[in-house]
Amino acid sequence: MMIKKISKERFKKLFDELKEEYNIAAPILKDKGKEKILEYDFINDFDQIVWDRQPDSSPKNIIFPQNSMLGNDYKGSKYYDDNLSTIIMGVRSCDIEAVKVFDQVFIEDDSYIDDSYKNRRDKTIIMGISCAEREDSCFCDSLGLDPIESDYAPVYIFKDEDEFFIKIKDEKYEDLFEDLPKGDQAQLKALKKQRKEEFNESSFSLDIPTPLPEKEMFEADIWEEMTEKCLGCGVCTYYCPTCYCFNFFWEGEDGESTKYKSWDSCMFSSYSVHASGHNPRDSKGKRYRNRIMHKFSYHPLNYEGLACVGCGRCIDRCPVNLDIREALKMTEEYLLEEGGDESGKD
Amino acid sequence: MKVEKTDMLPQKAEIIEIKQETKTNLNIKTFRLRFKDRSQRDNFQFKPGQFMMVTVFGVGEAPFGFASSPTEKEYFEFSVKEVGLVTEALHNLKEGDIIGVRGPYGNGFPLESTEGKNIIFIGGGIGIAPLRSLINYVLDEENRHKYKKIQLLNAFRSPEDTLYCDDYEWWENTENTEVKYTIDEPCEGWSKCVGFPHTLIVEELNYELPDTRVFTCGPPIMIKFVTEKLRELGIDPAEIITTLEMRMSCGVGKCGRCNIGHYYVCKDGPVFTLEQLGEMPDEY
Repeated sequence: MMIKKISKERFKKLFDELKEEYNIAAPILKDKGKEKILEYDFINDFDQIVWDRQPDSSPKNIIFPQNSMLGNDYKGSKYYDDNLSTIIMGVRSCDIEAVKVFDQVFIEDDSYIDDSYKNRRDKTIIMGISCAEREDSCFCDSLGLDPIESDYAPVYIFKDEDEFFIKIKDEKYEDLFEDLPKGDQAQLKALKKQRKEEFNESSFSLDIPTPLPEKEMFEADIWEEMTEKCLGCGVCTYYCPTCYCFNFFWEGEDGESTKYKSWDSCMFSSYSVHASGHNPRDSKGKRYRNRIMHKFSYHPLNYEGLACVGCGRCIDRCPVNLDIREALKMTEEYLLEEGGDESGKD
Repeated sequence: MKVEKTDMLPQKAEIIEIKQETKTNLNIKTFRLRFKDRSQRDNFQFKPGQFMMVTVFGVGEAPFGFASSPTEKEYFEFSVKEVGLVTEALHNLKEGDIIGVRGPYGNGFPLESTEGKNIIFIGGGIGIAPLRSLINYVLDEENRHKYKKIQLLNAFRSPEDTLYCDDYEWWENTENTEVKYTIDEPCEGWSKCVGFPHTLIVEELNYELPDTRVFTCGPPIMIKFVTEKLRELGIDPAEIITTLEMRMSCGVGKCGRCNIGHYYVCKDGPVFTLEQLGEMPDEY
């Protein structure tokens, strides 16, 4: 492990050095109609980076593009060169945990390895950033994550006013930061301790068994009521850092046609409909049940850990204020009332 | 220029024969295919019960279970009922046209553990397609000796809706093999069974032989009644085997579409025992 401490100016210089050899993605403000959205993109200018709040979207689009053309060059942006590796700067604990979920599904599950994901991921270095304060809707610590630091990123940034500690945990990357002034370990430790104390406990506490009991919760009668106001717009899945459902599309005719891979959403009514017209998830409740159960039952049964990281973006983005914390509370109450105390497969 | 490595792009296969199966109602055709590439053709292996993702270029992709046996080395077949976009586009193709295929995917029928057993096949309509892959496999002269008595009950809506007529003579003439056919309603000129398959099990099939395994595929309502009847007759749910259908995109358990609880039909299925289905949420 190596600890460095640098000023903003020195970081800018480091950025300019790194960008010669790496693609760099970081959260920047982008005009989206009347709104400015903080999202990850490939950049050329250090000063564009916004460090001090949780980005509106996760870096999912960097490691798993929203649209890609199969068998063709991956076009990130003008600041992306396919021959270079990518450093994603400023990724928070929640989003780092989400990358872990993707890695489990697309790389570590040896029943099928997604080569295009693996290639991109192999060439990605995540520079995490420690959260300084809680956003209104986030609850990662309620799910057992540590907002101050995640072990899953090889390099971590701790921003202290205008100074930055850089902690290099994977010695593979020590060369990149070697020339920087040394940071004091005790000082960093003190900063982390102070952060932890300031980080007020989440008002949301969750007491559900995970994996959620598959059959019992599937048959629970809470889902339709829970989703009465849902519009089925799918925005929760698009902003979700762990949602990875996708679909293929074709363009052009005959053997020359192109196949695209695009994000999809299990919240769409047409998502699981058969050619015959039969739809196994023919109501909003059934679709939302699949979303919640995938994150809190099916993923933990098939892999390890939850497929929800408590980032709260689905809560922020939902046009009708459907709140996953309330859904989980209803689940908790249902299990309490119905006496379900077994977790996992029943 | 780097190319994104992926096996999600289909390989080219040529339609070498199209057979119109159903008669007045022309909605089921069987497509005989082979890879354009010779080495692909020679190296291709699959199991009955597995499926391929079939692409009509520019239109889309959909899963189809093999209807032919892997003992046929020169080609593979799918039977396609015209119901949606991709199937309609397939029905409009002609011999010599090129389509895309990728796979095989899925677990397939249990071949080894079925050896030494008596087998009953109960199929309905297009559901006979995946069974035919296994039927033709077990009845193949190389394999027939591995299995005991084989009984088939093929159910069709009407004589006009029968499938695989060219196989019947072979099936019926294979030793220790009995083949029954039924249609929904009595019909002039039809001298075989009449009625839904679950009503015929007791009379027409010798289900009491020890070590019997039942394979059943067909419309969901038929599966429901047939499996209920079989359980009522005391057949072990672990010996009742069926296949499930779901909408799919990737075929490898990733795209998220075909899950039933934490099982993915494409990867953990499409072949399941009734015992397994009993443990799964009722989402199909």
